[in-house]
Amino acid sequence: MSKTVNGVVIDDTFAEAFGMSGTGIIITADTLKWARIAATVATGFGTSVIGCGAECGIDKELSPDETPDGRPGVRILIFGFSPDALVPQIRNRIGQCVLTSPGSACYAGFKADKTIGLGKGPRLFGDGYQTAKKLGGTRYWRVPVMDGEFVIEEETGLTTDAVGGGNMLILGTDRAGLLETAEAAVDAIAKVDDVITPFPGGIVRSGSKVGAKYAGMFASTNDAFCPTLRGTVKKSELAPDTLAVLEIVIDGLTSKAVADAMRAGLKAVTDTGAKRGVTRITAGNYGGKLGQHHYHLKDLI
Amino acid sequence: MSGFTLRLKAPATERMTLSGITPSKLSALSAHEIARLDVGIEKGGLALGDAFDISGSAGEILTIEGATPELDFIGAGLDSGTIRVVGDAGSYAGRKMAGGKLEIHGNAAHFLASGSTGGMIHVRGNAGDNLGGMIPGDRFGMLGGITVVEGNIGSRAGDKMRRGTIVVRGKTGSHTGSRMIGGTIWAEGGIGPEPGLMMRRGTLIGPSVEKLLPTFVDTGKHDLVITRVISRYLKAALGDLAPKPMPLFVQKIGGDLATIGRGEILLPAA
Repeated sequence: MSKTVNGVVIDDTFAEAFGMSGTGIIITADTLKWARIAATVATGFGTSVIGCGAECGIDKELSPDETPDGRPGVRILIFGFSPDALVPQIRNRIGQCVLTSPGSACYAGFKADKTIGLGKGPRLFGDGYQTAKKLGGTRYWRVPVMDGEFVIEEETGLTTDAVGGGNMLILGTDRAGLLETAEAAVDAIAKVDDVITPFPGGIVRSGSKVGAKYAGMFASTNDAFCPTLRGTVKKSELAPDTLAVLEIVIDGLTSKAVADAMRAGLKAVTDTGAKRGVTRITAGNYGGKLGQHHYHLKDLI
Repeated sequence: MSGFTLRLKAPATERMTLSGITPSKLSALSAHEIARLDVGIEKGGLALGDAFDISGSAGEILTIEGATPELDFIGAGLDSGTIRVVGDAGSYAGRKMAGGKLEIHGNAAHFLASGSTGGMIHVRGNAGDNLGGMIPGDRFGMLGGITVVEGNIGSRAGDKMRRGTIVVRGKTGSHTGSRMIGGTIWAEGGIGPEPGLMMRRGTLIGPSVEKLLPTFVDTGKHDLVITRVISRYLKAALGDLAPKPMPLFVQKIGGDLATIGRGEILLPAA
């Protein structure tokens, strides 16, 4: 039975999400502006593991007293299929996007027993002039670069209990109002720690189904939710007045964080959605057989 | 406060070695066995119970009262718990220490923390030569942990040191960081003459240096991120004992160019 909250129908369904490997990294710089720049570039082209190799995003900004070097920083999260798949992603993203960014430094942003290399690759840029500094249990590398030194911690924490693909689909009768509502939901989710919304601005307009008619396409357009196909496809999910659908995908370091993020997102949508033309919220799943994590919408409102 | 207390019965007439006399080892032994532990270095041996009054019971803290510089190897091999020394410690205190805490409420002689790999040593007074250094047969000096000396220290501190941190509130003697391979020595009262002789890597920090070797070069003024990281680490690890952070800009003196020259002496930039 679906439920109506503040005029928004919430389907009795669940978001189906998958186990992933994830890690957190802190990027600092002389100013928050430059920490943001490095973090934004390092998490770029990181929307979906299928095409990007990793799903990445900014978790939160850190004040100077929250970072290891007392400078402003940004915490990013990177998720991949497996620890092995994360290794080249971390090496390349940090090596190309953080090492290169003026004044940057890079530290572990997640503490765990399991670890994954952070500075192990980028340190080699030092060509033998790099030095290590071990303080307590932590080893930092100092790589000479043209504006001084790039300081990078050797390892960061790794979890294989991360969750990728928590989601919600928001349906509405007004495209502009729908986007505003989805933005509000992304802002609410951003306040939850340990989660990211990896798609552009946190929002996906091209929800996908598994498989395609073309060989080599792992995913293709979710025709049941495409408003222009309503009536022409075998089974359309959309009511006659639905003009557009937007999806928010959530990755988190823990299942609880994903659930909290979905709860925050749902609340933001139901709080302000109706007056912006939002009519319904549903979630993406594959019948429950593919993903280990199920988030029932009715449990989260 | 549970734990054993050892009180020296009479002024020592010979040197004693307290190697391996740690809270965890004593906790595993009976009173009889503890009293029979050999702490002598001469042929006849010397039982712990003959040299010390032993009181208390098994616990995390071992107190040595009335300590004198004849007591060598205090806290050697310490891996957990605390050893509190009231009085002066002899040489080799904290040798090959791996964890726990060694507090010396007095002075320490030579080779304090030599070959130590972890834990924390706090000396209220001064310390002698070769702090964190190596003895013949060792490959390296200090390999980890933190040593804080509130007074001054002797020469050749950090000889062949590879990792770990030495904080000196006072001054260091000559040739601080000789043959150093890594680690950090921070001397708040100033660095003695000719530091870093044959040092490969590692960091010496201080407000001034008495005399530089000719094989060290001034690389200029820098705002190094790593000095902030070190300061914050020490503040977290030592609290009020932590040295005052360096100014934003430091003068980096690189060397020893007689070897690979990756070591550094950091002074406040003028």
